[in-house]
Amino acid sequence: MKTNESSSLSAFTAGFIKQNPTFSQVLGLCPTLATSTNAENALGMGLATMGVLILSNIFISALRKLIPNEVRIPAYISVIASFVTIVNLLMHGYTYQLWTNLGLYIPLIVVNCIIMGRAEAFASKNGIWKSFLDGLGMGLGFVGAILLLGMTREVLSVGTLFGIRLWPKTYGMFVMMLPPGAFLVIGLYLALFKHIANVRKRNLKNIKG
Amino acid sequence: MGKYFKTALILTVIMVAIAVILASVYVVTKQPIAKSDLEAKLTAIKAVLTDPNTGKLLINENEIPQTMAQLKAKIWKSSSSGILFSDERAKGYVLSPAYVFKAKNGEPVYVLVGYAIGFGGKVVTVAAFEKRGNGFYENAIRVIDYSNETPGLGARINEPKVRKRFYSIPNSGFENGVKVNKDANLYPLPKGYKEKLNYYKSKGIVVTSDIMTGATITPRAVVSTLNTMYTFLEKEAR
Repeated sequence: MKTNESSSLSAFTAGFIKQNPTFSQVLGLCPTLATSTNAENALGMGLATMGVLILSNIFISALRKLIPNEVRIPAYISVIASFVTIVNLLMHGYTYQLWTNLGLYIPLIVVNCIIMGRAEAFASKNGIWKSFLDGLGMGLGFVGAILLLGMTREVLSVGTLFGIRLWPKTYGMFVMMLPPGAFLVIGLYLALFKHIANVRKRNLKNIKG
Repeated sequence: MGKYFKTALILTVIMVAIAVILASVYVVTKQPIAKSDLEAKLTAIKAVLTDPNTGKLLINENEIPQTMAQLKAKIWKSSSSGILFSDERAKGYVLSPAYVFKAKNGEPVYVLVGYAIGFGGKVVTVAAFEKRGNGFYENAIRVIDYSNETPGLGARINEPKVRKRFYSIPNSGFENGVKVNKDANLYPLPKGYKEKLNYYKSKGIVVTSDIMTGATITPRAVVSTLNTMYTFLEKEAR
């Protein structure tokens, strides 16, 4: 019972740092870099992806014994594409401005490696509850990562955070809004996360030693 | 053989279930989507009917449509095909319906919706043209659909400072067709170009390369649409 609880907890927390989809697994970078131009867009994209991830994990886990192994990939893609279409329709109807801002990256959630990766690596092998926790944990990890990128880029490029001005625009580095800025920021964060992982590894080694 | 049938049957059941779910969501979101699209269109129409230099409406406030019925009353031309005019040279389209309003000075103001293909698909623009003398003066624009353009690049097309560059293009600018500065061999931009933006507009050049770095295709789609709209007006409203 205790093992089951701890494995549920680890399924939920794995995506935060240890297996963070962006900073640790380096998955789904294209939409992450393209839509993290500001905090609002990043949050919208993160939540949309998290919604699709949770729903597709639940659905795929529920159908895992029904779907024949040979056709599992097209079946997973169909399920994921349906949820992306649903998110797209809902955003068009209820969050028009965000839907326009995020543009073609909403339909492109279908081919986000994070979602397909979790479907194949986790949801197809685990129960509904654990798959839900995995989707939620990985989704939160992705939201955190993309939001961190979006906030950093918005602050550095135009000097605002969620549209609230922090310092004069003159001090902004416009390049942070552009693709080179995206690569620069994610490169620095990847290095930071790698450093944290190395320090933790070294500490563990010292404790064992 | 039986295995193949079983696989096909399972896939069919899954697809039917998905189709039912999608159809239900479509039915539920149909009205909100139509409402959002209408609101975006009405907001855009009001915006393009406002003089960008003075901030005052070109028409009387009570003539601004608030509902679909009021908007329908302003239809000038429409076509059952959905497209009123297409220009092969400019690669742009004028969508049906086209609207006409009466300016405070009594002259007609045409509000047209059109599109051209941008980086990822249609870039839909709403523009108002005021009849002045023998020609048409482009007052202002709003880009209402750029959902297929790249966020941070082409998708910045509707930002106020970007769309401002497409405002107030006089008759003379349209004579040889409006171009973005890169297509008009005005690149790199000369010193003091910002003081000459209106002069460039009178020559049919819209300067965008300084504020939309790395995204020429999207503003090019907007100028193609404006050129198509102007040709349409020359043909139909002269």
